[in-house]
Amino acid sequence: MTSTAQELHPAPTLEPGRTILELKGLEKQYPGTHALKPVSLAFKSGEIHAIVGENGAGKSTLIKLLTGVMPRTSGDVIWEGKPAALATPHEAMALGINAVHQEVVLCRHLTVAANMFLGEEDSRFGILQQRAMVREAQKIIDDLGFDLPAHVVLGDLTIGQQQLIAAARATVRGTKFLIFDEPTAYLTRKEADQLFTLIRRLKGEGVTIIYISHRMEEVFELADRVSVLRDGTLVGTRNIAETNDAELVKMMINRSIEQVYHKEHFTPGATLLEARNLSGKGFENVSMTARAGEIVGLYGLIGAGRSEFVTTLYGRHRKSAGQILWEGKEVQINSEHDAIRLGMALAPESRRDQGLCLNLPVGLNLNLPIYKRISSNLLISSAQEKTEADRQIANLRIKTPTRNALASSLSGGNQQKIVIGKWLAHGARLFIFDEPTVGVDVGTKAEIYRLFGELLSKGAGIILISSYLPEVYELADTLHVFRRGKLVATHGFHTADHEEILTQALAEKQEKLGGQI
Amino acid sequence: MSTEAIAAEKPKRNYNALFGLTLLALLVLLWVILSVATPSFASTNNISNLLRQGSMIAILAVGQTFVIITGGIDLSVGAVVGFATVIAAMLINAGVPVILAILITLLVGVAIGLFHGFGIVKMGLPPFIITLATLTSLRGIGLLMTNGNSISINNDAFQLFSRSSFLGIPNLFWMVILVGIPAYVFLHHSRWGRYLFSVGSNAEASRLSGVNVQRTIYMAYTLSGLCAAFVGVLLASRIGIGNPTQAEGWELQAIASSVIGGTSLFGAVGSVHGPLLGAFILATINNGANLLNVNAFWQRIITGVLIIVIVYFDGLRRRGK
Ligand SMILES: Nc1ncnc2c1ncn2[C@@H]1O[C@H](COP(=O)(O)OP(=O)(O)OP(=O)(O)O)[C@@H](O)[C@H]1O
Ligand SMILES: [Mg+2]
Repeated sequence: MTSTAQELHPAPTLEPGRTILELKGLEKQYPGTHALKPVSLAFKSGEIHAIVGENGAGKSTLIKLLTGVMPRTSGDVIWEGKPAALATPHEAMALGINAVHQEVVLCRHLTVAANMFLGEEDSRFGILQQRAMVREAQKIIDDLGFDLPAHVVLGDLTIGQQQLIAAARATVRGTKFLIFDEPTAYLTRKEADQLFTLIRRLKGEGVTIIYISHRMEEVFELADRVSVLRDGTLVGTRNIAETNDAELVKMMINRSIEQVYHKEHFTPGATLLEARNLSGKGFENVSMTARAGEIVGLYGLIGAGRSEFVTTLYGRHRKSAGQILWEGKEVQINSEHDAIRLGMALAPESRRDQGLCLNLPVGLNLNLPIYKRISSNLLISSAQEKTEADRQIANLRIKTPTRNALASSLSGGNQQKIVIGKWLAHGARLFIFDEPTVGVDVGTKAEIYRLFGELLSKGAGIILISSYLPEVYELADTLHVFRRGKLVATHGFHTADHEEILTQALAEKQEKLGGQI
Repeated sequence: MSTEAIAAEKPKRNYNALFGLTLLALLVLLWVILSVATPSFASTNNISNLLRQGSMIAILAVGQTFVIITGGIDLSVGAVVGFATVIAAMLINAGVPVILAILITLLVGVAIGLFHGFGIVKMGLPPFIITLATLTSLRGIGLLMTNGNSISINNDAFQLFSRSSFLGIPNLFWMVILVGIPAYVFLHHSRWGRYLFSVGSNAEASRLSGVNVQRTIYMAYTLSGLCAAFVGVLLASRIGIGNPTQAEGWELQAIASSVIGGTSLFGAVGSVHGPLLGAFILATINNGANLLNVNAFWQRIITGVLIIVIVYFDGLRRRGK
């Protein structure tokens, strides 16, 4: 295609304030789950409309219906006054409806440019104009203010950067209606700021935007109106100026939460793990300890080397220098197996690539680390297998029809709960949680934090990686800041403020620190 | 069919059982049609013959299914069968006691499976490649060992085994049961079975959850090699000949049986009863076509069409559910 930067500026066809898209009794029934009970809602042209709700409330389902990814069970969609079938993604795109989905759905083996023009390639006489496309893509990316190369393979970028490319892709095709499904879950703060700038700019150009997020502060920062879904039902719609955090949470989960960041302080016990001048791929000369009864927080931008550091502790990668000590004795951890035997557990950051067997049942996923314990010699005790799985499902309120449902049929946040839940029954002594609450709703976050407290009280230690500062700030007894593979600062509980920690994480790059955290 | 454990969600489990029943119904239907169409089909002789024909592929298909569940493929099984007939024949003719000869042959199968595991895990070769390499080279090794000649086995007791029956059922079919029951328990009731599925679904997630992925892969290929060597022993007993070029194309029949039986070539989906039924459906079609004097070329075409039809409907219903 020969898109130019002008196509970034689609002419608004309706004056702001008029209804551009209307849902009338839209409904979706999956086998075993009534994901969307008849929902009626109107979107105004040029508004930013936030949609919030618990995990499994039906947000992503609504988006899939609007973008033609899934067929609806019943109901009507009125687009610019005319009924629209929205049977295929192609039809939705032709109308000008685009989405940036919760999980990046692009081709990881193709280049950024190829992805941006996927399905609308520029070709002459059947020959792809590769160079022209790379140039064009680069222009669009630069124009959006993203600092990313167009010629690299998409899979080489971080998940956050891929998400930005997905957003850029959605803007180049004459979009009038753009949906973001939890776009900031994997973004660094800087990337999130870039995305917000892009969203505001699109709004200025008359594009209508749906914005789905579990982060209330983003909703209040961006949105004009907000709708709340609970169990597939629309609970209400509010103007952003006329509502507040507490009211939305109450609408979402039908009860109020006094305190999300449940924090108990314990006197730290014996040192479990110590890293001495540890180096490896992606990090250098890191020293730290983790003790029983404390949460060690690792904060930094995505790509700062925290995940590489903990996966090396866990035996997934080789260390290149330094020592690892377990309970004071130096140990060689050559595989995950060794780490688990010592008493470590790791809940990895990417649930799709590392965390879940998607096409297997929820129960199997939850029990995977503990099959050894629940089988005698050869045979698995199926009674124990059931109890263990059901216990975690109840514990974390995982929304699934049964433990035998496939993990792929769960909503994003509920999948994340499996990644956490599978370790809770394991009896490990040191838990490493890498971005544990990505995409998890407020109520469950509170629940997960409470379970952290429970693990600590039983004498376990926790290493918590998060790119979401409030989370580590409120929970970590010791907070280490990572920057470009180095541990650059260490703080106690609340001994530094957000500003200082952010500066340390960003350092010389001198990013603007305005806006929310 | 499996207990609730592995076989996915409740509707899915019913569906899995249903698919098994559908295959069984298809098999019975074929038998009924053939008994009506040709008088000789339902004769004791022919049924025994059919069971014998199907048994060997069925056992191969079980081993193959373990491998496919991990997301791999074992193209070598036909060649391993041929090679095993040579080993068994040579040992028996050299005067080695039959039991010992059988054990050694089985160990050779295990060794070949371990070699595949090594190639995949340690050398990083794709399963398709390493087992393809074994497929061609094993036949070559066998031909070298025999100088291209067949070895007649001179041990009547050994040959009698595969021709006799017990309780009216051919011994070869009893062997299917002998393999099938432990295989079922292993796949659906042991943690190793769970690990086969989890590795096939997501090896990285399994590894991080403490599953020994390498050992699981070794295990799958070793079991497949073991099954193939066992079939080699049965074939040697049945034909009375050791010849490395026997069982040509059996790997494809084993894969076809497995796939007809609901195994997904993408991994993480499969059972033990499915491939068994698949193997006997294929055997019935071949047998029936012979009796009906259908051109042997047509038999191949029918088999191909059947694979497409069954797998298509299976996929449709999986998605539809
Ligand atoms: N393909 C599917 N098959 C069966 N059930 C499904 C499927 N996709 C989603 N569901 C179910 O539909 C319900 C709504 O899911 P949806 O993905 O819309 O939730 P969500 O609001 O986006 O949640 P999250 O905040 O966790 O992303 C969930 O209970 C989920 O289990
Ligand atoms: Mg969602």
